[in-house]
Amino acid sequence: MNSQPATPAQMELELITQAQHGDKLAFGELVRRHREGVVNVVYRMCGDAHLAEDAAQEAFIRAWQHLYRYRPRAPFRNWLYRIATNVARDVLRRERESVNVETLPLTASEQGPEAGPEATVEGRERGERVRQAVLALPPASREALILREYEGLSYQEIADVLDIPIGTVMSRLNYARNRLRESLAPYLEVL
Amino acid sequence: MTKHVSDWLGAYHDGELHGRQLQQVEAHLARCEACRAELENLQALTALLQESPAAETLTHPERFVAQVELRLPRHPARPAWHRALELGWRTVPLGLFGAWAFVRAVFIVANILQIGLGGGLAAKLLPPGSFDGLYPPPLQGTWLAEVLRMALIHDLSSAGVNDVGRLTLHMLSERMAFIRGGPLGWGLTLNLVSLSVIGLLYWSWLASWWAYVSSYRKSTIGG
Repeated sequence: MNSQPATPAQMELELITQAQHGDKLAFGELVRRHREGVVNVVYRMCGDAHLAEDAAQEAFIRAWQHLYRYRPRAPFRNWLYRIATNVARDVLRRERESVNVETLPLTASEQGPEAGPEATVEGRERGERVRQAVLALPPASREALILREYEGLSYQEIADVLDIPIGTVMSRLNYARNRLRESLAPYLEVL
Repeated sequence: MTKHVSDWLGAYHDGELHGRQLQQVEAHLARCEACRAELENLQALTALLQESPAAETLTHPERFVAQVELRLPRHPARPAWHRALELGWRTVPLGLFGAWAFVRAVFIVANILQIGLGGGLAAKLLPPGSFDGLYPPPLQGTWLAEVLRMALIHDLSSAGVNDVGRLTLHMLSERMAFIRGGPLGWGLTLNLVSLSVIGLLYWSWLASWWAYVSSYRKSTIGG
């Protein structure tokens, strides 16, 4: 008698197996669970919420199409992030001529409607500067930084997602942080 | 002094250093103010990055999921070997039909030939005495083996093509006689057994196909 409830990881694995057999409802549940993470990864990469949602949908469709390739050795989330970063690269390549990342409008959440006027102005400026500084990084360094700082992946996980050695993860992160420390120096001194 | 650990400060900050390396960096930090300042700067950078908000939710999560589901191809892609296997599985009835047709054709041809040859067709087609001199009789072995044997005994180069034709008819006559002979008639027995096997294979295939379709419907429709 096995009365122990299934762990979230087991439940996810069950959903993945069902989806691999063509169950769209199970895949929909996986999308529901990982939507936020995937959208954010793409958003941090390309800096536009509209593009990010479209690209995230594309990433999930690619995931569905290549679901048979997934092996449960690595977390499903990391596998999705791998696809999401690839889609983000494609989006950036496609939109390079049409979108200037430095002039993208602020999103509603960056404008902070719930904050007071002073905090709003200050927060907007700081949020905008941070966003531009991150977007100004070379894509390779940006990917590593986003996966570490925003998604909390370990170096090994980043290496797996980006398919690079751990040493390269470290050097890309160091490079990205040094660049950000230079470009965001005034805000770092205030903190 | 700062240069000594600045390359490792990021990894230290991320909790990615272990063992001796970790001890070295910690020891260095204890005595190096510049490195401590750099580490604080890294921590401040992480805090600043965390302040940057996540993507704005433009589409309601449920709507997002529905949009993805609508855009999904009907089936997830499958590896090439899987597709080849399924294609092969789908063509099983065709193969079984082919096998059934072959058995029926052999049986019918055997009947026709037996009746024809037994009724003196060979004698009418071939000149009198055509089967003379074919001994030792070519009863065992394959047709090719018999032809080779005949080539050795009768020197085909001088015997000519007619001898090969005569031998072929003779062999066919023997084989057909075997198929139609036997206690219950070997031909009938073979025919029944082979058709039963083909029928059994077909029904097994049909049952497994039905099970496959049922499980697929269950997984895609959810009931």
